[in-house]
Amino acid sequence: MSTNRHPIEQEELMAYLDGELPADQATTALSHMETCPECETVAADFRSVSRELTAWEVESPEVGIPSEINAALGERLQKREAAKIDSGRVKNRVINNRWVWAGALAIVCVAMGLKLTLTSRNRNEAAGMPALDRSTVYPSMASIEQYLIPDRNTEIALARSAAPESISSDAKILVLGWRGYETAIEGRNGFVCIVERSWISPFNSSEFWNPRIRVPQCFNPAAARSILPLTIKRTEMVLAGLSKAQMIDSIRAGFDNKDLPAPEPGAMSYMMSRAGYLNDVLGHHVPHLMFYFPLTDKASWGADLPESPVTLNPQFQGGPEPITEFVIPVGKWSDGTAAPAM
Amino acid sequence: MTSDEALMLEFQGGSRAAFEELFARYHKPLYGFFGRRLNNPERAEDLTQETFLAVIRAVSRYEPRASVRTYLYGIALKLLAAERRKFLTSSASGQSTTEPRTGGTPECVLWVRQALEKLDAPEREILMLREYEQLSYSDIAELLRIPVNTVRSRLFRSRLALKNHLGSEARSNPALRASTGQPHPGRRGMQ
Repeated sequence: MSTNRHPIEQEELMAYLDGELPADQATTALSHMETCPECETVAADFRSVSRELTAWEVESPEVGIPSEINAALGERLQKREAAKIDSGRVKNRVINNRWVWAGALAIVCVAMGLKLTLTSRNRNEAAGMPALDRSTVYPSMASIEQYLIPDRNTEIALARSAAPESISSDAKILVLGWRGYETAIEGRNGFVCIVERSWISPFNSSEFWNPRIRVPQCFNPAAARSILPLTIKRTEMVLAGLSKAQMIDSIRAGFDNKDLPAPEPGAMSYMMSRAGYLNDVLGHHVPHLMFYFPLTDKASWGADLPESPVTLNPQFQGGPEPITEFVIPVGKWSDGTAAPAM
Repeated sequence: MTSDEALMLEFQGGSRAAFEELFARYHKPLYGFFGRRLNNPERAEDLTQETFLAVIRAVSRYEPRASVRTYLYGIALKLLAAERRKFLTSSASGQSTTEPRTGGTPECVLWVRQALEKLDAPEREILMLREYEQLSYSDIAELLRIPVNTVRSRLFRSRLALKNHLGSEARSNPALRASTGQPHPGRRGMQ
């Protein structure tokens, strides 16, 4: 496959299908594949190999926890309890010894410094990130060019990738320009698809100005009328150069004087793109649906409880938008391929 | 849903329920891991249990530096390597060994297995970790201690080679083609 005709190599195409390409390359791949039958054939071959491998299933016996593991588990938990009791006794013995206190204080100071350094580094490494403090990486707005997608068709394809084609093909598409979002394609079904940028994050997010963030999203008609205006408003204020404090005040005023609407009943959106980039921690994340309500307690949906598939997205939640947003993961990306296990 | 990492930390803090949840989540995937590589159901179950025993023994030293999934497959790979060493030793000394069992296996599965066996061992392992264990490129790189780019290039080569092997099998036995290729719900991968 020549790079003269194809902006991506076959190996990159494979990585795209695996959800392993960075967002900028993924959007290029997505856009190119829609118009290149040759690459679509290559992609179909890769998918076919994966599908044929699924013939080899291994049925595991339905077992509870075997007795040997139960015994080891019991022993481990008992030892832990015993260690806690011993530790309490030792603490009582040393509590009045000032030299022990002085030594311990010195050790704790050194250990805390080391621990903070290592913990930060380990978390970042686990997230595939270099050891950086993101709040210092994205302290303020980058140049507007860094938030724009140069190729309009790429942004349209990325916006549409938020929902299955049966929905997004008839949706209105907005793209971000120098003066804000503008209509690229008129829709026929009331849905609106868009690629949101970093400033839709919570105002206290360390990635509020991360120029790499690309969040494809398709709003249903109720959300297009009542949630999308928030994205439009935030974008207008960002491009106008308002500070975060000014933006927060303006949004509060907007809700107070009813310029900004409350979420309509049934408002929801699709976020099923495998080519999105939600932030440096989540990356592509998993495909999911979002549901919007006037500010409410997350317990009303059982969100964030053990085994509950529903989570509360802190995107708004009164900060300042009086909106609650629940997230439910789904099993497939918008192109019908299986999503990673949660 | 509570994350694996949160469960592991709860288990470290003394929660039996957290361990039971991890067991429920990972028993079947780990059994599949060993089952595909050993073709011996009894040993697959033994080694699955060994993996969980290793988790129990090492829980006090666990640190959330990698995902629990990667951590578990790291243990499983070590146990598998030990099992293979044992297998080679017992083969060399003429003792009984864990021979792969194929009796009763559907033909389409044998076809896939034979195609996989034709791959180079390192490339086969990467392909299987990706397709069956659903690990990311970076997880595989960490487990096998190789660069992510190497994972990607080997995975690419192995998929191309497997496509050819599967194609040649299908040409020599067209009936097989009709018996496979149906999408499998709920799996990660290119479907």
